Amino acid sequence: MNTLWAIPAIAEEAEEKGKIFDFNLTLPIIVAEFLLLMLALDNLWFKPVAKVMDERDEAIRQKLMGVRDNSDEIKKLQEQAEAILKAARAETTAELNKMRRETAASLDAKLQESRQRVEKELAEALANLESQKEETLRSLDKQVQELSDQIVAKVIPF
Amino acid sequence: MQIEQLQIFEIDNPHQVSSVEVHAQVLITSWVVIALLIALPVVATRNLQTIPTGLQNFIEYVLEFIRDLTRTQMGEEEYRPWVPFIGTMFLSIFVSNWSGALLPWRVIQLPHGELAAPTNDINTTVALALLTSVAYFYAGLHKRGFSYFGKYIQPTPVLLPINILEDFTKPLSLSFRLFGNILADELVVAVLVSLVPLIVPVPMMLLGLFTSAIQALISATLAAAYIGESMEGHH
Repeated sequence: MNTLWAIPAIAEEAEEKGKIFDFNLTLPIIVAEFLLLMLALDNLWFKPVAKVMDERDEAIRQKLMGVRDNSDEIKKLQEQAEAILKAARAETTAELNKMRRETAASLDAKLQESRQRVEKELAEALANLESQKEETLRSLDKQVQELSDQIVAKVIPF
Repeated sequence: MQIEQLQIFEIDNPHQVSSVEVHAQVLITSWVVIALLIALPVVATRNLQTIPTGLQNFIEYVLEFIRDLTRTQMGEEEYRPWVPFIGTMFLSIFVSNWSGALLPWRVIQLPHGELAAPTNDINTTVALALLTSVAYFYAGLHKRGFSYFGKYIQPTPVLLPINILEDFTKPLSLSFRLFGNILADELVVAVLVSLVPLIVPVPMMLLGLFTSAIQALISATLAAAYIGESMEGHH
């Protein structure tokens, strides 16, 4: 390719080779530079950064494991809470039933009492009525007797 | 544009004017890339916190990206030791390519040649490809011992020449893919800029950014894939 730009016949201090595939000492120098660069980068970049990244991964993994354990505790607490709730509920329903029964019993007693009273008064009233009826019948009888006497006296004057 | 070399030093005794040459522009730009790549983590890891912000977030994202890339290619058990290699491969190619495209190298005038991405030089890309080859050879031998050479006759011995050829074509393709992409993009942008300097080269430059990033990813992924393949064997 260098032949395209024709090298003047008057050579200067530098020898113009005019080759594109010009292998010389540059090659091993580049090899050495690459190997040194590899060592340098490994110690300056890859190792420290890899350490930080791996430490971070470990820390995250630890935290995740911690969180997983916590969820067991939470489940246990939940069960405890539910047990307490159930016990409380059972207690309250028992109390409620007891109250209900007691009030029912007292109501029954009151009902009985008032029923008896009512019956008694009814019986009294009935007895009253009976005696009044008797009395009225008796007085009626007397009045009927008087009336018939008067009628007889009136009808048979002479 | 001239891709030239700089005659930096002369080795050997004074009787022989033999000099060993380097492409100084490549060395200079590669030093800049290395400086950038070292400055970033030094600044960013100054105050590492558990909950990252800003720059730390960014470098953690890059590391995560590289780890994921390596893990996808090599599997969960064996990827860890190779993260630095693949990471350096990816980051050096990525920063080299983007520095060539984004940094104003033209401001610095060199007497011969000019500064550009270090990956536009065949030496760099072949160096990276050879490193990858050595890496996957080493991985295979380290993991499986000499039974690693049994892979040449898998699945059938008829494929032996092809398997041997693969050992040559892998680094060849790796180096040329990267070299060709980066050099070609630079040349096209240079030609466009010399023709119509104002708006027209910009789409080409953006495309260059995109493809050079893809090339970095591909180089790193293929390196990881070759290493993973030579470690796994054929089950």
